[in-house]
Amino acid sequence: MDTEVYSFALKNALNEIQNICPDIKNAFMFREDGEIVAGDANTPEKTVVRVIDAFDGVLEKADALGGVESITLDSSKGRVSISCMNDLYLVTVTTKKADMNYVNTVTRVLIPTVLKLIEKISPAPLKNSLSEPEMKPEIPMERKPEELLHGYAEETTAKELREPVQTEIKPEAVLPEPPVSQFIVENIGGLLVPSDTVRVDNELISQWNELYPGKKINDVEIETFGGKSARCKIKPIKESKHEGKGAIQMPGKIQFTLEIKKGELVRVKPIVE
Amino acid sequence: MEEACLVGKKKSLQEVEAVTEPIAVEEATTVNSLKASLEAIKECDGVVGYIVRNATSASIDLKDPTKIIDYAILSSSALDAGKVLSELFDLGDASNIVVNGKSIKMVSLIVGESKVSLFMDRSADSEKVLRRLHEI
Repeated sequence: MDTEVYSFALKNALNEIQNICPDIKNAFMFREDGEIVAGDANTPEKTVVRVIDAFDGVLEKADALGGVESITLDSSKGRVSISCMNDLYLVTVTTKKADMNYVNTVTRVLIPTVLKLIEKISPAPLKNSLSEPEMKPEIPMERKPEELLHGYAEETTAKELREPVQTEIKPEAVLPEPPVSQFIVENIGGLLVPSDTVRVDNELISQWNELYPGKKINDVEIETFGGKSARCKIKPIKESKHEGKGAIQMPGKIQFTLEIKKGELVRVKPIVE
Repeated sequence: MEEACLVGKKKSLQEVEAVTEPIAVEEATTVNSLKASLEAIKECDGVVGYIVRNATSASIDLKDPTKIIDYAILSSSALDAGKVLSELFDLGDASNIVVNGKSIKMVSLIVGESKVSLFMDRSADSEKVLRRLHEI
């Protein structure tokens, strides 16, 4: 499983939980073995480590109780809740006035849903790249391939994909692994809309550019859960009202090529060159 | 004037003495009433036992004596963890920590100078138990 994707999705989920429940002061997740999985922006790693250390003894001896399901600490100014989800522990720190029914409803629905979704989609890229190269579509040729989708599918042959990973490592591979984001497909159309370009949040493009200083991210790879993938140009979403909604604006032609439609989920990865 | 001061000092000393004695009595009473309450709580549905300890003594009453060591470590770890978390997140005084296990639930809290942990079945009403303990 791609830990980075896992972490990224959970981190976003934790931040979203805090957006809808402002009474949650801190939220983070760790594994049974003490590994930090994801944390919100408010909680320093040092604090998370201390919490994990503090509960080490409790979790170690929890077998005597049949294993831990949840832990709740009530204090005069707030509350700490630790919920066990599979082999993960979700820690939330809330204020005294927090509506715990609401907090629990949100956390116990959203996080397991994200976890389930990640579990479901995570094997897809591995499966695609190793055993289903023929699934990569070709874009109808009205323009030259490099102008449209840069001929990604054509360049990637089955033989190349089956080669060991090491053979693909080049000197520039020291760059961090491109982060994978998930988006819901939105339609975009109009006379002036290029058919080979998708639009995502400007903030995300800035993050990618920060991640790869000196490199300009002009293209992305889009993968569907059905195993199709395509390379497209990327531009920021123009209207601010559409920003921050986790959507990718996609022309009909690309949707047709990828055999997807509005409302479906896709994975998007920046291409660093 | 000086005499008045001395009288005043004497008075305040007497007051201190008068106050000190009831505190000691009160502590003893608290410990006794805590033990009495725990004995009563132990008879409640689903409660499987308790551990209570202070600086000088400890008392353990569990239906399954093979669990004594595990439960004692759990009790101590949970209370220590609660203290650490309260400090880390500036949550003030910890009032209780509940560890919901898949089969047994542990409720730990500090009553006066005593650290108390109660063990009960998962379905037992821990809120009721906590209310009774906070009444002491």
